[in-house]
Amino acid sequence: MPLDFKTSDPLTVGVELELMVLNTRDHDLTRGAPDLLARIAKAGLPSEVKPEITESMIEVNSTVHTRFDPLAAELAATRDGIVEAAGRLNLAVAGGGSHPFHKWSDRRIYPTERFLQVSALYGYLAKQFTVFGQHIHVGVASGDDAIYLTHRMARYIPHFIALSASSPFYQGEDTSFETSRLHAVSAFPLAGHLPEVGSWEEFNRYFDEMAGYGIVSSMKDFYWDIRPKPEYGTIEIRIGDTPLTVSQAAELAAYAQVLAADLLRNRDSEPIAPQYLVYGYNRFQACRFGFEAMLADPRAHTHIRLREDLLATLYRVQRIGDELGATSALRAIGDRADRGQNDARWLRERFSQSGHLADVVRLQAARWRDEPAATGTGAVPATAKLRAAK
Amino acid sequence: MDARLLPSLPLAFNPAVLFGVLLVAGMLGGEVARQLRLPRVIGYVLVGFGLAPLASALNIGPLLDEARFFVDIALGLVLFDLGRRMDLAWLKRDWTLAATSMGESLAASGLVFAALHLLGFPPLQAGIAAAIAMATSPAVVLLVAQDARAEGQVTERAFTLVALNSLVASVIVTMLTASVHYEVKLDLDTAVLHPLYLFAGSLALGGALAALARGIAGLVERSPELHFTLLAGFVVAAVGLAQAGKLSVILSLLAFGLFARNEGRGHDLLAVDLGRASRLFYVVLFVITGASLPLEALQAAGFGALALVLARTAGKFAGVLLFAPLGGLRLRQATGLAATLLPMSSLALLLQHDVARLYPSFGQDLTAVVLGAVIIMELTGPLAVQWGLRFAGESAPEAPRAPAGAVLER
Repeated sequence: MPLDFKTSDPLTVGVELELMVLNTRDHDLTRGAPDLLARIAKAGLPSEVKPEITESMIEVNSTVHTRFDPLAAELAATRDGIVEAAGRLNLAVAGGGSHPFHKWSDRRIYPTERFLQVSALYGYLAKQFTVFGQHIHVGVASGDDAIYLTHRMARYIPHFIALSASSPFYQGEDTSFETSRLHAVSAFPLAGHLPEVGSWEEFNRYFDEMAGYGIVSSMKDFYWDIRPKPEYGTIEIRIGDTPLTVSQAAELAAYAQVLAADLLRNRDSEPIAPQYLVYGYNRFQACRFGFEAMLADPRAHTHIRLREDLLATLYRVQRIGDELGATSALRAIGDRADRGQNDARWLRERFSQSGHLADVVRLQAARWRDEPAATGTGAVPATAKLRAAK
Repeated sequence: MDARLLPSLPLAFNPAVLFGVLLVAGMLGGEVARQLRLPRVIGYVLVGFGLAPLASALNIGPLLDEARFFVDIALGLVLFDLGRRMDLAWLKRDWTLAATSMGESLAASGLVFAALHLLGFPPLQAGIAAAIAMATSPAVVLLVAQDARAEGQVTERAFTLVALNSLVASVIVTMLTASVHYEVKLDLDTAVLHPLYLFAGSLALGGALAALARGIAGLVERSPELHFTLLAGFVVAAVGLAQAGKLSVILSLLAFGLFARNEGRGHDLLAVDLGRASRLFYVVLFVITGASLPLEALQAAGFGALALVLARTAGKFAGVLLFAPLGGLRLRQATGLAATLLPMSSLALLLQHDVARLYPSFGQDLTAVVLGAVIIMELTGPLAVQWGLRFAGESAPEAPRAPAGAVLER
């Protein structure tokens, strides 16, 4: 049976954010989602808030937007509602791609039918999948546009990795990566990227074949970095860590929207195969080195620093950005790239000041709440100053 | 060889041997209980019950008294941990939690007071027993929750409610001792000044120790191992200082824990987990508690003890069911929460001990009633907590699910 691609208004955007649910004692992950969701349901927030694979996660789904400002405002209002509900339950909520020190085996699968099936099939991978990503949906007019855009967006995946990277710590250690979350994703057998199909019809043939082998039953079984989402009429960019603030999440969505507009307007007919040859390498570079990654450019046969590639791209799409009302978002992104300041660096700075990961998570939660003390460089505890002076 | 270099027979036991034996025996009892799907705590206590006749046969009663030292350390660890879990800011953010605490404490003690008064106990005695009945055993709740790997709102709220009722109970018992002073015709100065000394002195000790611990923590590396050692040392010292100063061990340690929380104090002290090391002392605590409970008290107190238990249970349930649902807890969760507040154990004994120590002649009957109630709750309390946490859906699933047919169903 062919998958039906439901068309949507081109270039509309929506955001999904997976968030950590923490206790306020030592800021480890805790089983708080069921009670938190029950309370949030009564609050009537602008975005939908849903369960995720384990009971220490919640997921925010924004409504559909055409402009950056209202999206940012909606996410901020939803954030405030979640913070209020969490406070009453003595829970904290935070962004960030992975929890720095939780023990994955302590997690409990959220008891919905699908999650229990996933857990039965994937074993420990399901609990290890307690990682937190941002998914960005961009509306497209047709299934063919979705296939085209999914392929062409692949070149920019390293940008999203570097900009959103917020999981340098994993299982209590500094991984030396800017994001460690993507390793949890890569472990799934159907991770990676869309095969080199040229149209929605061709994709349907591929899907039928996979379904015929008994490997997949829906699009949800593909854990690709970008995938078409026929039910929504969108492409879904799933590569990013959840940023530490909702404003950055909205900015990334705006960047995806502007890039999509640029790619759809200035269509490229070059074969996609060479881009996929370097895909895995470039993805690794971005995960490991962030803005300093050296990306292989299959057309120019050179390497280019991610930061420069990002700034050049921002320059190229500037006019479309103005047109779509994303000027301030693109400026903020450019500014962060210029300074080499992403969330992974912020987290490492907090760790070098406090020396303890529980403190890092506490500050992470304060930053998510948008508390003034946690937004800047953060106050340096007296003891850290003392040790630094030694 | 000089015979003085060899031990004389029979071998003389010492507290170290006793500690080791009780620890291993308790552990084995706990595992037997676990095999029967009962809380481990019940196993520890039953080992204690079994040891009591043995101890009197071997005439090691005095040695058991010496081993009270370990009990005190265990209680210190429990109370400190509980103090750290007491989150006053949460009470401000959710008034229903404070209301639930007030409700369950007042209803439980009110009903116990009424029941004992009806049974003919004088008001002051009934009042002291009612205040003691207010407190839930923190060690039982902590241990059973730990064993069940329980997590969630009911577990968190249970810890806070237990901390609060322990605190309030010990404050009220302290205040009622003032009336005891008055009743036994001591001068008014003592009646006022002694409770004041207990109260203010204990708070001051807790505060001072927390400040000192913070100061030392600031001088060393922020590693969990160092902070663990630091806190363990301070807790043991705090117990000793409170005893030496004739202060309330309960109040001092709760205060120390509360002041050692990090809220707005530079986050110098890490929230290290004392769990595994504390367990050693908890096992011994329950075994000795079991061994020291005179089972004949149950017979002596008879109906009185049962009335206390029933009135207390009714009060705890009424208070929690009345207020907790206002905070968004489902009926199932509120019921589970009420059940977690039922254990009575070493804290009640300690309070009872404090009263009896001040005035040994005061209330033989009352002692029997409280001890009888503790004996009943020593066995039923852990079951109630285990059931409550499971009923509320907060215990971890018992065993990993058996591998399913490893293919997605279509």
